Amino acid sequence: MNRDRRQLVLMLMPYLVGLVVLVLLPAAATMAMAFTETDLIATSRFLGAANFVELTTDPAVQAAVGNSLSYLMFSVPLRLVIAVGLALLLHRRARGSGTARAAVLLPGAVPELAYGLMWLWLLNPIQGPVNQFLLLGGEGGRTALGTLPPQWLTDPEDARAGIVLMSLFTIGETFVIVLTARLALPPEAYELAELEGARAGQVLRRVTLPLLAPVLAVLVLRDTLMSLQASFVPTLVVTNGGPPPYATTYLSLVLYQDAFEYLRYGYAAAVAALMLGLTAVAVLIQWRLLRRWASHGIVGAGAQRPGN
Amino acid sequence: MSWHDPGRRRRAYGAVAVTALFGSPLLLLLAGSLREPGQPPVVAPPLIPEDPGFAAYHQAITHGDLVRAAANSMIVAAVGVPLSLLVASLAGFALTQLPRRLASAVIGLSVLAMMVPATALLLPRFVLFRTLHLTDTLVPLIAPALIATSPLYPLIYYLAFRAIPADSYDLCRLADLTPMQTWRRMALPQVQPVTAGLAALTFALTWSNLLDPLVYLYDRATFTLPLALRALAAMDPHNQPVFLAGAVLTTLPTLLVIGVAQRRFMHSYGPEGAP
Amino acid sequence: MTDGLRLRDVHLSRGAITALRGIDLVVRRGELLVVLGPSGAGKSSLLRAIAGLDPVTGGTVAIGGRDVTALRPGQRNVSMVFQSYSLLPHLSVADNIAFGHRIRGADRRAAAARAAQAAATVGCADLLARRPHQLSGGERQRVALARVLVREPDVFLLDEPLANLDAALRTRMRTEIRAVHDRLGTTTVYVTHDQSEAMALGDRIAVLRDGRIEQIGTPDEVWHRPRTRHVASFVGGPGMNLLPGNGPLSLAGVEATAVELGVRPEHVTLSGVGSAPADLLGKVERVEVLGEDALVHLRLGGHPMIARVAARTRPAPGDRVAVDVAAKHLHAFDAVTGERIPLPAGAAAR
Repeated sequence: MNRDRRQLVLMLMPYLVGLVVLVLLPAAATMAMAFTETDLIATSRFLGAANFVELTTDPAVQAAVGNSLSYLMFSVPLRLVIAVGLALLLHRRARGSGTARAAVLLPGAVPELAYGLMWLWLLNPIQGPVNQFLLLGGEGGRTALGTLPPQWLTDPEDARAGIVLMSLFTIGETFVIVLTARLALPPEAYELAELEGARAGQVLRRVTLPLLAPVLAVLVLRDTLMSLQASFVPTLVVTNGGPPPYATTYLSLVLYQDAFEYLRYGYAAAVAALMLGLTAVAVLIQWRLLRRWASHGIVGAGAQRPGN
Repeated sequence: MSWHDPGRRRRAYGAVAVTALFGSPLLLLLAGSLREPGQPPVVAPPLIPEDPGFAAYHQAITHGDLVRAAANSMIVAAVGVPLSLLVASLAGFALTQLPRRLASAVIGLSVLAMMVPATALLLPRFVLFRTLHLTDTLVPLIAPALIATSPLYPLIYYLAFRAIPADSYDLCRLADLTPMQTWRRMALPQVQPVTAGLAALTFALTWSNLLDPLVYLYDRATFTLPLALRALAAMDPHNQPVFLAGAVLTTLPTLLVIGVAQRRFMHSYGPEGAP
Repeated sequence: MTDGLRLRDVHLSRGAITALRGIDLVVRRGELLVVLGPSGAGKSSLLRAIAGLDPVTGGTVAIGGRDVTALRPGQRNVSMVFQSYSLLPHLSVADNIAFGHRIRGADRRAAAARAAQAAATVGCADLLARRPHQLSGGERQRVALARVLVREPDVFLLDEPLANLDAALRTRMRTEIRAVHDRLGTTTVYVTHDQSEAMALGDRIAVLRDGRIEQIGTPDEVWHRPRTRHVASFVGGPGMNLLPGNGPLSLAGVEATAVELGVRPEHVTLSGVGSAPADLLGKVERVEVLGEDALVHLRLGGHPMIARVAARTRPAPGDRVAVDVAAKHLHAFDAVTGERIPLPAGAAAR
């Protein structure tokens, strides 16, 4: 018995060491650093809450918080809706459905930077294929609807929309999880609905979505956790936080720039603390909403046994 | 259900539309990379370039030093991915066998770790690796294997190992297997589809890692593919075919790995097999 | 000669749940003991305590005279067949059978030979190259059996091995299991909730209830002299009828209010009303025909009762019948403790 226990602890050890040395201690250090002014070489000065006070007046941070929240509000629900829609469209056998499933995974397979470079080109207002497509059928540099095409890289609104648009194609993982969950649903539930004469919309609302709810809840949480960071590489590569001053500056970019371009480590740490706080709040709010759904029976029994 | 079922036909059309929509970015990327580099940008480029060629690839490889970068990336992946899977599966297995309270604590820590923004960890890790004189080496890029690349992956293994019937674990105890032997002989072979899936994901994450190299690597000789690609794009941001060619080259290995893994991933042992 | 297996005052509890409350049990070397009981009685816990899969919280377990209480499962030299068979899906049948053997360091060729031999013993030699998911329920069962045969353990433990099979296959397999046991002569503990399986298979039967052994004895003893009311009603298909001692049946020489009287359905005789006393007249409520026999559910003085009669002479629902029970077929149990009360000589029924 003792021999087994010792071996099990050894098996867990590498991961535990990694977790502590590479995540938990660094996170704690970041939190501590947030109260100092440091350049990581010689000087380190305790500042108290000064960094946090500065955060509240920093225009870059203010813009970034707003941008990050708007990204979260658009990107997370849209990604989920698209992934669910695709999964429900492609879960049944039909000609071409296998190819289509694979195609959905493709954009996610492109390394982030290559993906960013690709969109930098796709969104080019003049030569970019996206606007070329939008201009089809229109005249004089206008779309078929007579509007000007979006100025992805120069107009603040359009640029933010572009960043969200980029995120909508990398839903492969979410798609696979929803697809797997849908395939695992009991056929009896659908046969019952059919016997009762339910229409497609009713089946979706009363059978499919409630049964998928636990999985969807977890996916929303996960996507939220990731979205504060998911905007980093695209903004770094495609828009570099612009158009000026801060149209697509997200918190992760502020943090990176403060730390590694302006070398203000203490202040950057305060930004990290802010991100962590925002993430925690977002997760907490969602968790409470989920709990309320669960108590109303919308989220099935599955949600009540996390990690089971 | 016959082919004349209208729903089925609609679904087939839908599948074609989805394929076109999600396949098009990559096709456009490919088309863009085949254009002649250094030409003034054309308005309304046809999907098939007029004079397709691999000149852009040649330039990307030579100007971007992509061969050396690819070699660096491969070293990182070759060491990092297997190590990461090993850490994840060992930890996931141990969690199923250790007392519940200990397992719950580790799982809680893992979830907490997932919440921490990656950028928030860069600074202290940077200090750590610089103190150890490991910046400008590939070690900091391999190091995340110790946390299984993502703390999510040990948890996935944990769930997969828990899905194996308890009887199978009892069987191994009766045969006097150590936990290591149980892991290797009984548990790991049964979750092969999970391993294949996680191998693909781990590879994709490791291969595309930009943030870590960006912080730890300054010497061009140590650049990995994404970093070299960024340098290439920064060098001449208007020469699109060249950096698009670089992007295609960076993407290919991931597609290859996912393609191979997918076949394994779909494989299962029939009704009794792992999910 | 040492015992095959000896348990002394074994207790087992997990958290707030107590599964075993003081088990004393001796299984003779080469004996096949069936542990019988309803679900939740602690049958599986008993097997797991013997195997060492769950550590006992009190008492000792000895195998072949060797105290194994403190040993790991792997050091006890026992083999176990699980209800789910627990075949490993990634291994062929041959590798499944050889699994434990290979782990213990046997070389591939020797292990394969032993596997083939074991497979032949239980009649699955033609399945060696297949994978578990290609097997039917009965075939999986055979492979699981072959796997325990590949070693030479001191004790075989079988946990409801036939529970997942259909009725016909269950009957055939139990005959084969008995045949294999007779050939090998290995001490065996076999757990089941099926009393007919227990009767057919066991050298002796241990009836378990609430973590205690209620009775241990040969099938004949358990059938003819059930030690408690619970054993009487659990063994038999259906079990013994139990009526209060002051009810329609009575027995001279015992305190009527302090006993319960039992009679097996097989020993209840029904006849036409004739001149039977009024309190031995029953009303037929339901009749189940089981081929040759019929089960007659009737009410006698307000008490439910079942009689097993020849189907040809069965009454119809609604009929009134006279109930007759011979005194030698009556069992008496203490109304409070449920313990069997020895019948006084010359007791007579009425």
